[in-house]
Amino acid sequence: MLNIEHLTKTYGGRKAVDDLSLHIRPGEVFGFIGHNGAGKSTTLKSVAGILQFDEGKITINGHDLASDPLSCKKDLAYIPDNPDMYDFMSGIKYLNFIADVFAIPADVRQERIRKYADIFELTDDLGQAISAYSHGMKQKLALISAWIHDPKLIVMDEPFVGLDPKASHLLKEMMREHCDAGGAIFFSTHVLDVAEKLCDKIAIIKQGRLIKVGTMEEVKGDDSLEEVFLELEEE
Amino acid sequence: MLKTLIKKQFTEAFRSYFFDAKKNQMRSKGSVIAFFAFFIILMVGMLGGLFTALALTLCPSLAEADMGWLYFLILGGLAILFGAFGSVFNTFSGLYLSKDNDLLLSLPIPVKTIITARLANVYLMGTMYSAIVLIPTLVVYWITAGLTVPRVICGILFFLIATMIVLILSCLLGWVVARISLKLKNKGFITVLLALVFIGLYYFFYFKASGLIRDLIANAVVYGEKVKGAANILYFYGRIGEGSFGAALGFLAVTALILFLVCLVISRSFFKIAASSGVTAKVRYVERKAKSKTAFQALLGKEFKKFVSSPNYMLNCGLGILLFPAAAVGLILKGSEISGVFDMLLPNFPGIAAVLVCVVLCALTSMIDMAAPSVSLEGKNLWIPQSLPVEGKTVLKAKGSVQLILTAVPMLLAAVCAAAVLKNTFIVRILMVLMPLSYTVFAAAFNTFLSVKMANFSWTNEIFPIKQSGAVTIAIFANWGFTLVIGGLYFLVGIKLGAPLYLALWTVLISAADVFLIHWLGTKGGTLFNNL
Repeated sequence: MLNIEHLTKTYGGRKAVDDLSLHIRPGEVFGFIGHNGAGKSTTLKSVAGILQFDEGKITINGHDLASDPLSCKKDLAYIPDNPDMYDFMSGIKYLNFIADVFAIPADVRQERIRKYADIFELTDDLGQAISAYSHGMKQKLALISAWIHDPKLIVMDEPFVGLDPKASHLLKEMMREHCDAGGAIFFSTHVLDVAEKLCDKIAIIKQGRLIKVGTMEEVKGDDSLEEVFLELEEE
Repeated sequence: MLKTLIKKQFTEAFRSYFFDAKKNQMRSKGSVIAFFAFFIILMVGMLGGLFTALALTLCPSLAEADMGWLYFLILGGLAILFGAFGSVFNTFSGLYLSKDNDLLLSLPIPVKTIITARLANVYLMGTMYSAIVLIPTLVVYWITAGLTVPRVICGILFFLIATMIVLILSCLLGWVVARISLKLKNKGFITVLLALVFIGLYYFFYFKASGLIRDLIANAVVYGEKVKGAANILYFYGRIGEGSFGAALGFLAVTALILFLVCLVISRSFFKIAASSGVTAKVRYVERKAKSKTAFQALLGKEFKKFVSSPNYMLNCGLGILLFPAAAVGLILKGSEISGVFDMLLPNFPGIAAVLVCVVLCALTSMIDMAAPSVSLEGKNLWIPQSLPVEGKTVLKAKGSVQLILTAVPMLLAAVCAAAVLKNTFIVRILMVLMPLSYTVFAAAFNTFLSVKMANFSWTNEIFPIKQSGAVTIAIFANWGFTLVIGGLYFLVGIKLGAPLYLALWTVLISAADVFLIHWLGTKGGTLFNNL
């Protein structure tokens, strides 16, 4: 589903991501962890096609991101760490905007909006301007906008920030369901407990370089993910 | 603390002069000097020159009649009007809508310190506008009436008092707009409506100005006595410029007191207004049958929604739209008269009226520039169009199309009226429609080109990309420049060619520029947008 080969991105002489390679298969919930400034967001933005990278190759569902970005983006949904959306739109207008861009038929989008807005208890607020939304409501709206076009790959940067416990639980269920249905999820998080319970595979990044990657068992063995992470950080 | 906040405000206001957002580095000293020189030439050279001419017209006769006070009253009043007019539209957003309001209010900073720093910025803006009138007013008077110590000291006080009055008016109007915005749902349109009333009054007096000045000079003594008798306060205001210490100190004290009271009112309500998200009642969503649109239609709809949701955007970039229907009505009512006057004055230049009307219509187009700040206005939402499966060129097409649609439709109305009313050959009538229309396409494409080439996302208040960005400044002045070239070349070479050939040549040239710019936006422009 997602192949990242030798990705390198430099900011003013400093390598934010250095020769990073990852492979995510359909059905995998893939967690991406690392300290602040390790290069997680840079990697996710590069995959989402909103950041030009210096070296390497990214392919999504067989399409090369550099030469065929539109085909890649059609298969992808991206949620940034701080989902700033169009404040001047209402929630429903924003969802329709996204659905229009992805050419989702009217009846299909209506059904999906109904389903996901009900799940996140956002239905009553869809008529409100986004400017009136709380951070958590914006996050829920961003999640609905990601699921509305049924993407093959969902890329999320810190998706649990701002969500209440119930919404976090629902998101975890949705992530699992999405992958069980053949999709894939690549997300970053600082919540190691969530990563440990939810992810099929995990990658740890430090100063732009991948220092550990594999299935959860391969990475943590008999220890907790937190112990492994802290140990690797100290090396 | 105050110093730090004021420094932050001014750094933000002049950031684009010192910092190249595209290269993410400070500009070189040479670039900074060039930017400031360009700004000063624009303000002093063009606008200052206009008011210097007005001061030179009024000053000699009034100073000679010992009525310098009336001269200062008129031009001081004009400076206040100009300063308040220039800064009122961004006072509301600058004071209450800055994106760092929440941050500053959460810090241990007294509200009055935040207000003072914000007001310093409003004062600077107002002073920049009013100084364009005040400096020529003082200099012309000092040269005409003679330079004395009292005149210089009181002249400086006159400057200070006038700019303080501008600040008071800007704050009061900004506060009124803020109060209205708390109460009303469609505050964007209400703000625009209020501004339109204000602008309407401004232009009413502006167009009456030359007649009023002639009348004033002819009857200066009579009016002077009336003002002295009926509105003594205005007389004393004018006396400041003449060098009256009593009037200067009295006015300074009263103005300072009023300013203090205004600041008090604003600082007391600031927290409530700045921290409020409005009283718009919660709208419970009722599901309606969804309608599908194409990606381009969705992007176009989003751009229109953005435009109509922001009073600042509408006022600063779209006000010129209203001038086309006004021009159409004017042409219907006075078109044949205009044509007759040209035929009588310049019988050897048939079609000159057609060329000049086309130039005027192009000049009106120059006053519409909503495409120029549109890329910068994406701000923190840039990730949305960049991560969606739409090409950069489609996003730019939507941005340019908003300007094109909003300009071309009223332009077509005015051009058709012009073609119908002015007596010309069939070919000239066709060209009178085609040439301005091709220019509207050019202006939309050129402004979109500037928008993507000079995109700047490091702003905390949308007034910066809308009003003070390089893209907008260049869009306005470059379009005026193009119009001047079209008009000026007619008198140099166009007269020999004749109106039909001259208009045809420009139609071809502008159309070629349209094709080039549209092609650039569709290729390099789209790539540039994706890489922002």
